[in-house]
Amino acid sequence: MEGMNILDQKFDVAIVGAGPAGLSAAYYLAKKGFKTAVLERGREVGSKSIYGGRIYAAPLKEIYPNFNSIPVHRWVKRERISIMPDYESMISIDYQGKEAISFTAYLTEVVKWMGIQAESAGATIITDVPVTNFYKENNKVSGVVSGEDVLRSDVVIDAEGVNRLVLEASGIVKPLKPELVALGVKEVLKGESKQIEDAFGLSQNEGLAWVFLGAATANTPGGAFLYTNRDSVSLGVVVLLDKAIANVKDHVSQLVESLRTAPALKNYLQNLRISEYSAHLIPEDVWSLRPERLVYDGLLITGDAAGLLLNAGYTYRGVDFAAYSGYLAGKAIEQAHAKGDYSAGSLSSYESMLEESIVIKELKRFRKVHEVMKNGLLFEKYPKIMSGVMKRMFENSDGPSKAWDAINESCKENQYSMLKLLIDGYRMVRSL
Amino acid sequence: MGLEIILLFKYVPNTTTVNVDPNTGTLIREGVPSVVNPHDLVAAEFALRLKEKYGGRIRAMIMAPPSATKGIEYLVGMGVDEGILLTDRAYGGADTLATSYVISQAIKKVVDHYDLIVAGQETLDSSTAHIGAQVSSWLGIPYVYYVTEAELQDGHMILTRQLETYVEKYRVKLPALISVLMHTLQPRDVTLKNKMKAVTQKPVKVYTNNELQLNTLCTGLKGSPTIVAKTEFIGKIPRKMQVIQGKTPEEMVSWLISKLKEEKVI
Repeated sequence: MEGMNILDQKFDVAIVGAGPAGLSAAYYLAKKGFKTAVLERGREVGSKSIYGGRIYAAPLKEIYPNFNSIPVHRWVKRERISIMPDYESMISIDYQGKEAISFTAYLTEVVKWMGIQAESAGATIITDVPVTNFYKENNKVSGVVSGEDVLRSDVVIDAEGVNRLVLEASGIVKPLKPELVALGVKEVLKGESKQIEDAFGLSQNEGLAWVFLGAATANTPGGAFLYTNRDSVSLGVVVLLDKAIANVKDHVSQLVESLRTAPALKNYLQNLRISEYSAHLIPEDVWSLRPERLVYDGLLITGDAAGLLLNAGYTYRGVDFAAYSGYLAGKAIEQAHAKGDYSAGSLSSYESMLEESIVIKELKRFRKVHEVMKNGLLFEKYPKIMSGVMKRMFENSDGPSKAWDAINESCKENQYSMLKLLIDGYRMVRSL
Repeated sequence: MGLEIILLFKYVPNTTTVNVDPNTGTLIREGVPSVVNPHDLVAAEFALRLKEKYGGRIRAMIMAPPSATKGIEYLVGMGVDEGILLTDRAYGGADTLATSYVISQAIKKVVDHYDLIVAGQETLDSSTAHIGAQVSSWLGIPYVYYVTEAELQDGHMILTRQLETYVEKYRVKLPALISVLMHTLQPRDVTLKNKMKAVTQKPVKVYTNNELQLNTLCTGLKGSPTIVAKTEFIGKIPRKMQVIQGKTPEEMVSWLISKLKEEKVI
């Protein structure tokens, strides 16, 4: 390649992106003795990592034997789903479990922790350096390009996240379209840990994950969330980008503002101050986002870049899937190395391991959710019908209505037939 | 031969992410990542261009805790050759006098030869602009500040110094110390090649007081005559926000004028 500056130093593996996927791959490979370099465009490890607020533990426990030192804030023992017809009222379902399988944390802290694991295992992490393309020899990916510099490696892992500039530059995927992604906007509201525990009725180390549907997203498809951290609350809104462009009049950040100041949440959030705000794209239509293959000659694609994020309608799950895909990519490289063959065929064990893993199994289980989500009724009509039902039942000064009458009247008021409601319900249950 | 350049820099809290505690008036530095002082990045760019033109070597020097190694790595990533870290508990709590003392003595003791010392105009977190002046005084070398251009001529340096309404030209003997006018140049990005060198080769020389053997009465808190008596928080200037009313530009202007009159601004 003309004008290119090929570095003398060569690595066994080059990884694009120091997020959960890239660092988990680096950790596994470095531990197995591979000379591994991670290239990160941000100023430091984790500086570009943004998520909602909750991580599922099991996959991370499998990857990291010293999982116990991961910076957990609270173990989620309480789940709540609320339907908000407007900012003043909500209908909630509460679940209190015995065992916690997920925890709240700051992703920056978790990713920094993963960086320390990878570096202690022997990986080299290079920050401040954006990868601009893959370097190819004989059509096989054989390193990465950053500006005019080329770092050669036997194999490359793409863990660049949802905004896939390198995969686009190399022609593997097309630029993102609004209908394929969602936009998440989040605030961190800070207080004291005691204050959080009192406001949400939590004991020490116990966490709450709370999802809102309806008014919280201006009745467009998406969801809003609240997670309790040690001494703060993560509050955010996720909207499908194309629907938001069409339907949300204000800036999306205004939705978080409205949620924070919602009368329905007033008692929970008072005396907390905003300490952080952030926004990020989220893979939404993961099956369309997924590159044609996850392995090419000399290349494996992991994490958000591969569309490996679970959208369960009311919640998203990506960090542990990303980490797990990085870990499996590491395993696949280990096997391919033993064969001395980094062709797509040899690396395809990554795809099959992924297929067998919790990642793809879960993604398949929720396959139809995106279609349900696209159905705006879930976010507009249903919350209104439900709240009409509740109002008739609980705010009727002549005495409560019978449930059936209440549903019937509320449907009429919202110009929706009960038959349609039943059919929708049946369809939804089938697809979920 | 080329120019032997020493680049002075500071590793400062990234103030774009720092908040001020309204009660104490101090910066909340907890958990705030540090960066190379942005004005020193301009100085680094200035030094790198001199090196590209005349050849030579750039060594970045800092008196700081060991965490500043990350700052040296960033500068090496830009193309600086190596770093010199002066670090010791006895240097902690220093004001600008004690800092410039350590830097100038270290230059005398561990730098065999230098032609030019380059510094940024001032730092982001304290803005004193003392260090350049003080280091040049300790070393007894010429000092020119607000420099925007430098050219080598017959063993001398022709310096352009920009002031508000006029430009000065200086012809100085080397070695000399210059500080570069802020915003003069756009600092270059880190490159993969240089950052790889910074991270894998770690070209940083570390000196503690064991090597430098400075009188600790002149360093750190003990060597600092400056006392910050009080910091007062100015507070936010209250502002009102209104959206300009009116359909035509004329209507908007008259609305604005009437509002400004109402507020007694005009």
